[in-house]
Amino acid sequence: MKVVEIKSLKKSFAGKKVLEGTSMTVYHGDIYGFLGPNGSGKTTTLRILLGNLYSDGGKIAVLGLSPDLDGEQLRQRVNILPESHGFYGWMRAEEYLRFFGQLYGLQLTSANWRMHLEQVGLDPADRRPIRTFSRGMKQRLGIARSLVNDPEILFLDEPTNGLDPKGRRKIHDLLLKLNREKEMTVVISTHILDDVERLCNRIAILHNSKIQYEGPLFAPAVGRSIRYRFHLADDKSIPSTWNFPGISCQEKNGPWVTCKIKDIHPDKALSLLVQKGIPITEAIQVNSGLESMYLNITAQGKE
Amino acid sequence: MRHFKTLIKKECIEEISSSRGAALYLAGCGVLSVFSLLLVSNTELSLLDNAQAVYMMSAIIIALALLIAVIRGSDGFAGERERETLELLLITPVSPAEVAIAKLMGLIFSWFVVFVLSIPYLWAVGSTGQNLIPALEYLFISGTLLVVIFGGFSLALSARMKTFKGALSIGLTAFLLSGSPILLGPSLRQSTVGRFIDLINPFANALNMLDSVVVDSLGVLFQIIPLAILIFYTIAAIWVLSMTTRRVEL
Repeated sequence: MKVVEIKSLKKSFAGKKVLEGTSMTVYHGDIYGFLGPNGSGKTTTLRILLGNLYSDGGKIAVLGLSPDLDGEQLRQRVNILPESHGFYGWMRAEEYLRFFGQLYGLQLTSANWRMHLEQVGLDPADRRPIRTFSRGMKQRLGIARSLVNDPEILFLDEPTNGLDPKGRRKIHDLLLKLNREKEMTVVISTHILDDVERLCNRIAILHNSKIQYEGPLFAPAVGRSIRYRFHLADDKSIPSTWNFPGISCQEKNGPWVTCKIKDIHPDKALSLLVQKGIPITEAIQVNSGLESMYLNITAQGKE
Repeated sequence: MRHFKTLIKKECIEEISSSRGAALYLAGCGVLSVFSLLLVSNTELSLLDNAQAVYMMSAIIIALALLIAVIRGSDGFAGERERETLELLLITPVSPAEVAIAKLMGLIFSWFVVFVLSIPYLWAVGSTGQNLIPALEYLFISGTLLVVIFGGFSLALSARMKTFKGALSIGLTAFLLSGSPILLGPSLRQSTVGRFIDLINPFANALNMLDSVVVDSLGVLFQIIPLAILIFYTIAAIWVLSMTTRRVEL
């Protein structure tokens, strides 16, 4: 089911075209990575999707609603973590969540706001005003706020900005859990490709005012290779040359073999190797090829 | 309109708990202290008729309230935009018009605080006279209407401007222009042009009304025209504010 559908979206600022015929589709249950260089129009697109900016043309439907005409109804059902979001520094974390809960018509109980704070790794017993929080703590609080209305679609603009590796992992796990358990659709606009590789099933790359690529993260059609390291139970069983379609062995190091997978889904490649009797005990993805694809696409045309 | 209570509560708490709000009230109390001290202790000023002293003090209180309304009104949208908190409000199901009206209520609350703070000062300069109670009544009425007018227009401007400084500079210019005819000498104010400016100027109408009540002890019938003009501007300010904030883009 399509939950976000954009067709030929146009937007200019002072004569400068930011979006020119942009089209994209997000399906229910997707964790959708929205990529693009700085100033490519990602934040503009998100603002238009929530009805905070007028578009100059095109068709937009979010949960079947028009952001321009049904903005308030739509914003009741979705939420966003903007890239740059201020805080009311005089509020405490619980007051902050209760305030935004009330704007969604919700009266958060103590258990509610405690749960929201705990799930992003903040201490509910922390009674300090928000102005004393570190950047990472504010980012976590922002994520907690964006979940306050239990949104059907969660838009995140650079969600792991300012988070340490542990904090990033916690947010990753939270998003995956929400997506799995509540079937929450998540749209992530980010520059951190590792976030995308870990979380997203589908991606879009916005460049030169248009979507240059939209599709699955692991898309054989793209013709890009993915590198995997396999650990084998018996290193004597490593053949000198592998000749499987779409899989080529690049280097050997003890029981480890690094392979390049191309034009075949990694899951299928793994099954194929196991079927052929290769005693694989562990498989580690070295890179998904996303970085090279991203750099190739964004190197084209104007920056 | 279901979010009103939450938004108004936030605006009122912000008015008194933020460092900016507290600094404005503190500065206001300082100004009122200086003027009331001058009115009771300065050799020449202390010779003023008691009613004149109350009128002068009332005028200062109104000017102070308007200054605060213009500063806080200019900060309303543009300041929140600069502090990156406006987006957080506009991504909720709240309409910009609801935010604007809540902010206007916050300005009125701010005026109520100024009014309560000013009572001891008015009492200090006018407790021995007869017109202190009517002065307080008309100060409250005219002050409330003027705060809605100046605050409403400042908020409308703030919703359209990107920066607080830009909104404030235009708001203060309008405030000073509306106050400038009062600086005209008595003869100029009696001329046709002077009378016309007085008639269309809400600030001048409020001061004339206070003058007529406090100094000339005239009744409510004499206040109908200035009051009607103030109400007209109040309605206009609310209309402009609601039209300007039908849609606020980030």
